[in-house]
Formats: sequence, C-alpha cells, structure tokens
Amino acid sequence: MALYLNLALKNVFRQKKRSFTLGINYAIVTFILVLLFSFSQGARVNITSNLVRASAGHITVAGQYVVVGRVFQGVLRYPEVERTARQTLGQDISVLPRYIVRSALYYKGLSKRVTFVGIDSSLETGFRDQIRFLKGSWQEFVDGENAVVMPAEIANYFELDYDDEVLVSTRTRFGAFNTATLKVKGIYETGNFFIQSQLLSHFAFLQGLDLADRDAASALYIYLPNPAGLEAKRDQLVKALNLTGFEAKKPKDENSALAAVTAASPRYEVDKRGIDRIELTVATINEVLGIVRTVLNAVNAVGTLIAAVMLFIIAVSIFINMRMSINERLREIGTMRTIGVEARGVTGLFVLENILLALIFTLAGVVLALLVVLLLRTAVPLPAGGNLGLFLNRGRLSLVPRALDILLIFAVITGFTALFSFFPARRGGRIRPVEALTKVF
Amino acid sequence: MRRTIFAVAVILLILAAAVDLAAQPKQNDPRAVKIVQAYEDRLNLRGLDITTTFTLVQKKEGETDRVLRVRVYRRDAADTFTLMFEYPDSEKGKGYYRSGDDLYLYLPSTREFVYRNRKDDVGSTDVRTDLFGQPKTLDQYRVSYLGAATVSKWECDVVRLDGKALDVSFPVQKWFFRRSDGLPVKTENYSVSETLMRTFYYIDYASVARDKYIFTKLLAVNHLEKGQKTFLTNEKVSTAAIPNYTFSKAFLEEQSR
Repeated sequence: MALYLNLALKNVFRQKKRSFTLGINYAIVTFILVLLFSFSQGARVNITSNLVRASAGHITVAGQYVVVGRVFQGVLRYPEVERTARQTLGQDISVLPRYIVRSALYYKGLSKRVTFVGIDSSLETGFRDQIRFLKGSWQEFVDGENAVVMPAEIANYFELDYDDEVLVSTRTRFGAFNTATLKVKGIYETGNFFIQSQLLSHFAFLQGLDLADRDAASALYIYLPNPAGLEAKRDQLVKALNLTGFEAKKPKDENSALAAVTAASPRYEVDKRGIDRIELTVATINEVLGIVRTVLNAVNAVGTLIAAVMLFIIAVSIFINMRMSINERLREIGTMRTIGVEARGVTGLFVLENILLALIFTLAGVVLALLVVLLLRTAVPLPAGGNLGLFLNRGRLSLVPRALDILLIFAVITGFTALFSFFPARRGGRIRPVEALTKVF
Repeated sequence: MRRTIFAVAVILLILAAAVDLAAQPKQNDPRAVKIVQAYEDRLNLRGLDITTTFTLVQKKEGETDRVLRVRVYRRDAADTFTLMFEYPDSEKGKGYYRSGDDLYLYLPSTREFVYRNRKDDVGSTDVRTDLFGQPKTLDQYRVSYLGAATVSKWECDVVRLDGKALDVSFPVQKWFFRRSDGLPVKTENYSVSETLMRTFYYIDYASVARDKYIFTKLLAVNHLEKGQKTFLTNEKVSTAAIPNYTFSKAFLEEQSR
C-alpha cells in the first residue's frame, strides 16, 4: 500500500500543467463551499445571539386580549404569566417585560416615525452591555422617568444633543392621540443590528403614553439558564398557562412567531367572539428564526448549485485527463501488468493519483478560505447600518467555519473524484499487457 | 361641640366640592349644548343631497405643494357619503365609502376595500374624512362653555369638548363659534395630555338652503410638523338629487375602471 501511495504521489505532478488546471478547480470549489458554510453558520449564530440579546427571548410570550368587545395587542396580567413561567420552568429563569410603541418623534419641526422600546431598567442589562454611549450614560437613563436613549443616527437626523427635550406623539391603543415630552439622556452606537434603530425608554412611561393598564405589556421575554429542549419547555409553559386561565398556544407558523416578537401596540379592533379573554402566543427562538433559516438555506442552495456546476466541470476534466493520461502511459501500464500487477492494481493507482490531487488542492482551498475568513473577521470593518448589517458582529462580518463542514467538503470531493476517475481508470487497468506494450498512439 | 360641627361642615363642603369637581366633566353644560346643537342644525344637511368638489393643497416646508382633488357625494339623511379622488393621477380611482360608522377605503390597485377608522386622514393630509359628513359632536363628546374670545374680527363663544371615550382621535377640542351666525370659525385639537396638535380655521361658508351651510374654505394647521398646512376649498356645490347607487361600494369599483 505504501508503495502504491509513494508511486501515486510521484505521479500526481507528472503532468504539471494539467494537474494544476484540475487542482485549481478543486481549490475554487472548496474555497466557495468553506466560505459559504462559514457565512451561513456565522449568520445563524450571529442573528440568534443578537436577536436573543435584543428583541426576543429563548421563549417569547406575546398575544392579544379582549376587554368589553375590544381586541388589544399585548399581554394582559403579565405578572401572572411571569409567575406561571417561574413555577413551570424554574425560579432561575429571567423574565423581561417589554412595552413597544411605534410613533412619531418631533423636534424643531422635524419628525420621524420611530420604535420606542420600553424596558424595566431594574431588570434589564442586555441593552446596557451592547451599546456604547457617545453621550450620556446608562445610569442617567435609569434615573430619569421620561429619559430616552437613542441611536446616533436618529440624534444626528434631528441634530439632538444630550438633555434636549423631544415631543412624542402616538395614536394610543384606544385611537386617541397622546403626546409626551422625553429628555435625551443618552446617544449610543451599537454593532447589534436588531437594536441599532431602537429608542430606549422606560416601560412604565410607554405604558402611560399608550394609556395601557399597569399589568399590560407588549411581550415577555423568557431567558433560560439552559436553552436545550426548548420546544418541550415551551409546551409545558403553554399547558401551565392554559390551566391558569389564559388561552395560550404555539405560533401556527414561522410568520406568526416573528409577528409575536415584533408586536407593538396598534389601535384596538372590534371583537367578534364576544368573550373577554387573554390569548397568548408562546414562540421559541428557533421558530422566530425560521424565516432566517429559510433564507440561509436558500443562500446555501444557490452556493451548492454553483459548486455542483463546478464539480460537473471537474468530472469532465477528470475524464479527459484520465483518458489522455492512460494513452500517454500505455507502456507503463504494459510494464506493470507484465511484472504481475493485476488490473485492479492499475485501476487503484490511477484512482489514488486523482484522489491525492483532489486532497492536496482541497486542502489548499480550505487554507485559503480560512485565511480569507480570518482577514474578514479581523481586518475589514463594515458599516453597521449597511446592507450587511444583519450579518455583522462588532462591525465585522460574522464567519464561523466548522470542522464538520470542512470534513464534509473533503468527503464529498474525495468520493466524487473516486467515482468519476474509477471508470476511465478501470478501462486503463483492463488493457492487456501485449496491447499496452505494442499499441502506439 | 361647635368646633366639631364646624369641622364636619367643612369636610362635607370639601367633599361636596370634590364630588362636584369630579362630576363636572361628565355632564354637558346646557349653554354649550345649545351652541353646539345650533351649529349642528346649520351644518346638518338632512333632506338634501350634496355633491361638491374639494381641492386640498398641502404645504410642507422645504417641499413642493401637494394638490389633491376629491369629489364628494353626501346624503346626511342616510348618514352616508362617497368620496372619490380625481387628482393627481396616482390617486385616481381611490375612494372612501361611509355608511353609518363604517368607513371603507377602496384601493383600485388591489381592487379591495379596507376598513378604516372613520377619522382617517385623507391622502395623508391634515384633513380627516369625518369633515365631509354630518357632524355628530354630542354623540362623541361632553361639552362645556369656556367663555368668549375674539378670532380675527369675530366675537366668538368658546366651547370645550371632552371625548366620552378615548376612541376619538382628539379627545380634547376647543371650538370657537361666531356669535353672529353660530358657525365655527376655528377649532383646536388636543391630545390626551392636552398638547395642541392641529388647528382648523373655517374661513368661509356657503348657504345651500335656508339656514343650512357648508364650509367652502378651510385651513388646517399642523402644530407638530413645522410649516405644514393644508388648505381646502369647496367648489361646484350642487344640491341636485344623487342616484342611490352612488352610495355603494359597487359605485366606487365602477368609477375606478
């Protein structure tokens, strides 16, 4: 075997030009696939972690409630939902209530529609750890009842500075307009795509602005110390909530899961069932990311298609190369057969040569791809507000290569090469020694 | 003993005053009711079919003027109206149909009717659809008399409106009624927290029947958007009978073809 390996290694680069041409094809396919899988995995990890830290929990509870024939968005009796969650999932979970209002912000005659996220600053630290204050501070935000913290982009649009007062006007959930004054206590920048356009305010302040009850929230984000077995834990919670008098359910599809975490507080609608009730949608982060997963799968599919086309070209190249190689090495084949090498031995040698060529250039492709990944992850900053914002982690493209993916690429390319070189190699192996030694091309 | 009686009397007086104060906004002020009823009588065109063409010019600082023209068919007796956009071409075919409290926006691009708040803003201007129908102030608001004021050259009575429920867009309003004919010349719209949001100036009215009026010029000023105003003129007012079919969704669909 060692002899074969040694011989095959020597033969790999006998026809340098031909071998390099084919090898570069292997390297390009590998390069594309490694980058693609790294991007896909990076995007998945990045989006999940950023979303979990910003706009969703491991489990998110949202919904709607009906009071005297009017359907309002949000969660009523949220302290009771929190209690039930703790009893069901353990006391060590974190439960964060949010109140979200989409409304217009006015300052010196300018206006813009923005999203206000109301947080309970005594519980929530996720935002604090992800934003970098350019002006003001977290403590000043916590101390001010009507404080607002906004991204630099919005502050620049209004030419706002620390301590400026802005007017917010919203159509409340009842339909009437309400207005309030907010004081800028922080201007921030962040690398988290999901919070880069959010204005932070206090939970109770937004509740008041929307004329909501004290026990109403837009959503509850539940964070578990161990998110394994999320679906089963969610099912337990749904069951427990139903026993407590809520009408809880899983989201019917990925769209409704996404709608649950982006729920704000629009004007009420008229109820048709005629019963006061609280309907809850309990979504897991995996369901929320369903749409993202679909998009990434599509990206992977396109990349794989490109790789498949290239592999097809490689298959044709292997075939032609082998035919030419066998024709050129007829005397060598004849000699091997004469000294007792069997037909399958000759076939094996040719296949091995091709596999070695594939492995060498696949390795080169992997190394090159990993270098590019390293370069993009460390040395190429991209704007958070740009088209690639969703895929950035701290201003750099999030690329996560996995050993499993690389092994898979090696396995597929090796298997593919073995398959497509086997048939022409077998033909070479089957040539009789006399024919091989006497035939002239 | 005297002291005790005095203390009890003071407490009772304070309680009575508090009860009275709390009850005040829940009751209509008869004088204000009379003023509002008189105005509604003048602007209520029951028994008449009205066809008019409104032109809305929206002015925004730093932007070119936006012009909209709408044709309105109104029948107060049936509490209905149909509104069709005539200009610009991008809005042509769009329209509203109101029947009672139900208001539908027709979108020709998708050929569907969207249920809307009866106070929907017309073409994203400061003018709302309820301006084109008959007023129903006392159904939605409690009214109180605030005193007299001068608006331009007119002596006016000022009436405050407080929404009975919070499902009205502007739960607090101040109306200035001209004493000479009882018609409003200015209305101020406030938010729940009583921030002035919009002011409407009724510049001119036209008489369409004996003691019945319709406004012909109106200016809406947005106090939150700097320099944003909408000027509305009402032309080609006709009281000719309108076919019943006009007050239907089918009419809007047909006109958009």
